[in-house]
Amino acid sequence: MNFMEFFWILQILIGIGLLVSAIVAIRFKNLIMAVIAMAVFSLILSLEFYVLQAPDVAIAEAGVGACLTTAMYLLAIKNTTDEEVVE
Amino acid sequence: MNVISAFMVALVLLLFSAMLTLIRLLLGPTIPDRAVALDSMTTTTAGAMVIYGVITKQAVFIDVALVYAVLSYIATLYIARYLVKKKVGIA
Repeated sequence: MNFMEFFWILQILIGIGLLVSAIVAIRFKNLIMAVIAMAVFSLILSLEFYVLQAPDVAIAEAGVGACLTTAMYLLAIKNTTDEEVVE
Repeated sequence: MNVISAFMVALVLLLFSAMLTLIRLLLGPTIPDRAVALDSMTTTTAGAMVIYGVITKQAVFIDVALVYAVLSYIATLYIARYLVKKKVGIA
């Protein structure tokens, strides 16, 4: 296995993961599940930046995506109502 | 097969196991199942980042794995604390 073949296998796996986690983050009805799916999306996006030879951008994406947005979304969900409004 | 090629095979297998964890995250019936799946997937991907740093022989790439391991621990702590106590952070 040379390096370019390995690189394309990696790109295909990362692309499938990005697509699946983005669709799931949109289609989940429970809000906590959507937050977890967004954390997975941020993880795979950080891995993509990492594979494309940009480790500083990957560090910034890890800090913002893994820690900050999860905490802020959970704070927003806690301070509002958890269920969807049923009329 | 030289050593670098063996590391490439190990990295592809690690990413494949991360995708199996992603399937558990899709199918898991309750929220704690999905939280544990997220934690397991983060740990597997941090190991994959370390192996990629070994393959490309650049020591900068190891730091990303360290930072991501610490921050994902904090994120899992937030989710677990919300699920048990309905509290986030110190509030």
